[in-house]
Amino acid sequence: MKCPRCQNTDPSYFYKGSKGWYCRRCISFQRIMVEESMQPVSLKPVKEDASEYTLQYPLTKEQKALSDTMIERIEDSDILCHCVCGAGKTELVVGVIGKYLKEGKKVCFAIARRQVVLEVAHRLQSYFMHASVIPVCGGHTDVTDGDLIVCTTHQLYRYYQAFDLLILDEPDAFPFYGNPVLHGIAETACRGKTVYLTATPDDTLKQKVQDGSLLSLRLHVRPHGKPIPVPVIHTAPVWILCMYLVLWLQVHADHPRIIFVPSISMCHRLARLISIFEKCFHVTSKDENRDEIIEVFRNSRNGVIVATTVLERGVTIPNVDVCVFAADSSSFNEAALIQMAGRAGRNFHNPYGDVLFLCREKSSLCHQCRKQIVDDNAYLYSGGALR
Amino acid sequence: MRCLLCGCEMQQGSLRDILFNEDIICEACRSKWERKKIDFRLDGIRVRSDYVYNDAFSECLIQYKECCDEALKDVFLYRIKDVIRKRYKGYTVCLMPSSTTKLAVRGFNHLAGMYESLGMKMIEPFEKVEEKDQKGAGRVERRNMEHGIRLKPDVQLPKKLLLCDDTITTGSTLKGALRVLDHNSHRIEIYCVSANHFWIQEKKGMLHFPYIQK
Repeated sequence: MKCPRCQNTDPSYFYKGSKGWYCRRCISFQRIMVEESMQPVSLKPVKEDASEYTLQYPLTKEQKALSDTMIERIEDSDILCHCVCGAGKTELVVGVIGKYLKEGKKVCFAIARRQVVLEVAHRLQSYFMHASVIPVCGGHTDVTDGDLIVCTTHQLYRYYQAFDLLILDEPDAFPFYGNPVLHGIAETACRGKTVYLTATPDDTLKQKVQDGSLLSLRLHVRPHGKPIPVPVIHTAPVWILCMYLVLWLQVHADHPRIIFVPSISMCHRLARLISIFEKCFHVTSKDENRDEIIEVFRNSRNGVIVATTVLERGVTIPNVDVCVFAADSSSFNEAALIQMAGRAGRNFHNPYGDVLFLCREKSSLCHQCRKQIVDDNAYLYSGGALR
Repeated sequence: MRCLLCGCEMQQGSLRDILFNEDIICEACRSKWERKKIDFRLDGIRVRSDYVYNDAFSECLIQYKECCDEALKDVFLYRIKDVIRKRYKGYTVCLMPSSTTKLAVRGFNHLAGMYESLGMKMIEPFEKVEEKDQKGAGRVERRNMEHGIRLKPDVQLPKKLLLCDDTITTGSTLKGALRVLDHNSHRIEIYCVSANHFWIQEKKGMLHFPYIQK
């Protein structure tokens, strides 16, 4: 038995009801019978002038080269676009989207997190002036059809076999990462090619690259051509770390500072500690108004924010310095650490930043993460691309 | 065995699990449901319920009713069925009506599935007059629905009746059912698995609800 929607074959997820067998793994998207066959969704044809685009900034040499290769090779196989954090991944795929729209094919840009959907849709709309870019996510589901659809990975269940090109942004981010239902739905939504955009590909993607079914394109350089800030790792007992953190906050008092913590309870505790010394924001996934908090923090120029992994991806704050408190915690994986370190130094005018990992005990993960960043930077030095 | 709600593999390793933890959903999911006995009167009829209609419960109920997940039918009464069986000995379960279109889509009667595990006698004496989707209806519209229930023609009602529903939100469905029953010739009680506690708190001071037990 195989679920037509989420591709599940595990027999323990099937249940026989009064109408027959159905899959319980994807039950939250309405029941679907096993023998039921899903009809491919037909969407409106693409408008003729939709494919015209104008970028705000011209692509750099490296970006241009990668974008051109992608346009060339997309017909042959799926592509993994493995770029460092802050390399401008959205801008890289604009060329390929333009090419597909020109041929009148349907394109979808799928993102795991809801906040990012609205932001990316807005950005793509400013590039594709004549196309209708439709964001589809929780709260924005009235219109579900347009020339270019930007949606959360959950919303892909609406589009069975609808897209010729599916761009999956950050497939290693929660909730898409490790969720077989969403993987199955993404697989069935796409009838053509898939492009994965990530800074930290997971093992399945790496395996696919090795098999040769996925073409990996790498970009090691940020648009400003400066190396990525390498994290400094300190290991000490917690109370020393706290003192060190306070000191670090004072040294970097003229920049905005993000402190990442592994858990919500720790976020509240640390925020209380820091608020003794200076005003401090804190944001967790439980906060309803986190967009406002982030906005206030962004405008404060030299504020402090304590955050859980909600701020790990898709957030750009100029001049920011990053500290990861309790970086040895098991709730961080390597991808998360790289992403958090990648928050720093994304600004064109000030491409430097300070990254600090504070560990309670020795952690090989932190060292792996540092090695990864050093390797990416080494490519930059050896290639002579440093400007 | 898999937890029916979150899909995690349930640990059946320790002695404690084997002896005491007999359940079909995992402990993490069960602990999200708030068990709170409630006992009040609706139009003079005693109403009792065991769970708070909180987010976790409503999510589960939606998965069962709207997503048509029939596997969840035993989850609701699993921990309390012995208590109910004892409490309402000799009563006959009367299920509240649901619309025929909904029934056709689901392919099963969700209340029948829920109360089946009690092993009590079960009848469906009511039917809906006007087909109206209750989900989108506001509180005022729900009040107006009171008259939307009638008895099926030539139905033989037993002496002791237990009106059953999944949740009590404003009580209008149950009031409508009470309206068509003869209170003098039957002994009637009401049981709902969950209750909306905000609404009951609101009504606390009013005459219809003389007491509320914690």
